Amino acid sequence: MSPSVNYRFIEGRWLLTLVLLAAVAWSLFFVPWNSDVVHSGGAAAALEILRALFSPELSPSFLLVAVEASWKTISFAAAGITLAVAIGFPLGVVASGTLVSSPMKRWTSIAVVRLTLAVLRSVHELVWAWLLVLALGLSPIAAVLALGIPYGGILGRVFSEILNDVPEGPLRSLRSAGASELKVLAYGRLPMALPQMLSYAIYRFECGLRSAAILSFVGIAGLGYQVQLSLDDLLYSEVWTLLLFLVGLVVLVDVWSGLVRKSLTT
Amino acid sequence: MNGTSPESGLFRLDLASKTYGATPALAPLSLTIERGEAVAVVGPSGAGKTTLLHLLGGVIQPTDGEISLGGHLLADLSPGRELSRLVGVIHQQFDLVPQLSALHNVLAGHLGKWGLARSLVSLISPVDRDTARQALERVGLKDKLHERTFRLSGGEQQRVAIARLLVQDPDVIIADEPVASLDPARSRDLMGLLSGIVEESGKTLIASVHSAELVRAFFSRAVGLRSGGLVFDVPVEELTDDMLESVYELQGLEGEPVGQL
Repeated sequence: MSPSVNYRFIEGRWLLTLVLLAAVAWSLFFVPWNSDVVHSGGAAAALEILRALFSPELSPSFLLVAVEASWKTISFAAAGITLAVAIGFPLGVVASGTLVSSPMKRWTSIAVVRLTLAVLRSVHELVWAWLLVLALGLSPIAAVLALGIPYGGILGRVFSEILNDVPEGPLRSLRSAGASELKVLAYGRLPMALPQMLSYAIYRFECGLRSAAILSFVGIAGLGYQVQLSLDDLLYSEVWTLLLFLVGLVVLVDVWSGLVRKSLTT
Repeated sequence: MNGTSPESGLFRLDLASKTYGATPALAPLSLTIERGEAVAVVGPSGAGKTTLLHLLGGVIQPTDGEISLGGHLLADLSPGRELSRLVGVIHQQFDLVPQLSALHNVLAGHLGKWGLARSLVSLISPVDRDTARQALERVGLKDKLHERTFRLSGGEQQRVAIARLLVQDPDVIIADEPVASLDPARSRDLMGLLSGIVEESGKTLIASVHSAELVRAFFSRAVGLRSGGLVFDVPVEELTDDMLESVYELQGLEGEPVGQL
């Protein structure tokens, strides 16, 4: 590339940055900067919510409610992720194209499965929940499906990529030893991909906790449901307690994930 | 070149060449290798050694020309059962699956012979543990049977790879710089092990090595490559230091030599 072409490219990039900054600055003039920006009662409410953070509701009866809600949330998350793995693992293996060696079969199967996975995950779990609750009512099955289906789509896509990204050396060597693609998958790809797949699945379990908490807003028992109840009564101290329990759950899963990863490498 | 009739050669290359897109990796090469020979392939990086070895191992197919093994065209042999019975390949590293135990990596040598069901079952409950144990004992790693492969040192991993070849039991062993990652003492050790196994079972060995000392100690024939072309092909007794130097020499832009590395 000649120096003058390089120069032009860099100047072009700076110009674009300038234009974007100017646009942002200019847009600020369109905001009505009067007291309507913050909701009139908002400031007072915000202050009260903040104050409640320093005095979370710690009465034994409420703590029991929080523990039970946490237990329900983590159960839903666990069941949902299990379903997600059951969906995502086989579909991911097919989508990776590592199952068959003939090109024709490969492309059609990959295309169909990848499309399926994309459809599963492009619908957000809240929308799945809404649809499933309409169909199945407020049952736990609806919650587990609402979590498992989109997460299955996500896991499937990521698993297929992990399977494709394994080092080629050991696979080539297995082929030289006479292994067919299926044996290469079982002896080479899966063992090498498993640690990463497990890591990602545990990470998704953590995401599933949050999703399960939010899903319970829909009316299925859990932390989200309790948060909604407490919010309706404007009992902010209770809300903070429940949120602290949610943080606790996430930290717990984080620690567990670290232990699992350590046991894999020793 | 070896005074034998063309039909008696084990490996026959007939003007076999390999080109990747516009890049010629190996110029048309004709070569005959007899059963039981120990052939060293020498040359600088990019000379085409790996290309030649992969062609011989059936890992890649020639762009032009033919390669035949035992009278059969290499391209006609099915990569699973047939080819793996005849040829086994070992590389500098990354042959083994790190997460598997040495036992499973060694048993993978059976994968050309086992059916799918047995292969899968063996992952859970190892089939033919005894053969694996014997192979690991032959390479001096008797107590590493259940050790996770990623825990083994480089030299130990290369020996596990050799143990896998023992289980696979091919007629020809092709080794692409098998000792390049090892220190001189371990290199000698490993080459000695490989050479011993090849001799005692009457196998044929074709390997690329960089050390002149190893070439003289463990091989009967030396083939020199440079920039994809054959420079020399002599019995190891006729190999001189000058021949080796000429093949490894650095070349300037006009093709003139600029001294040694």
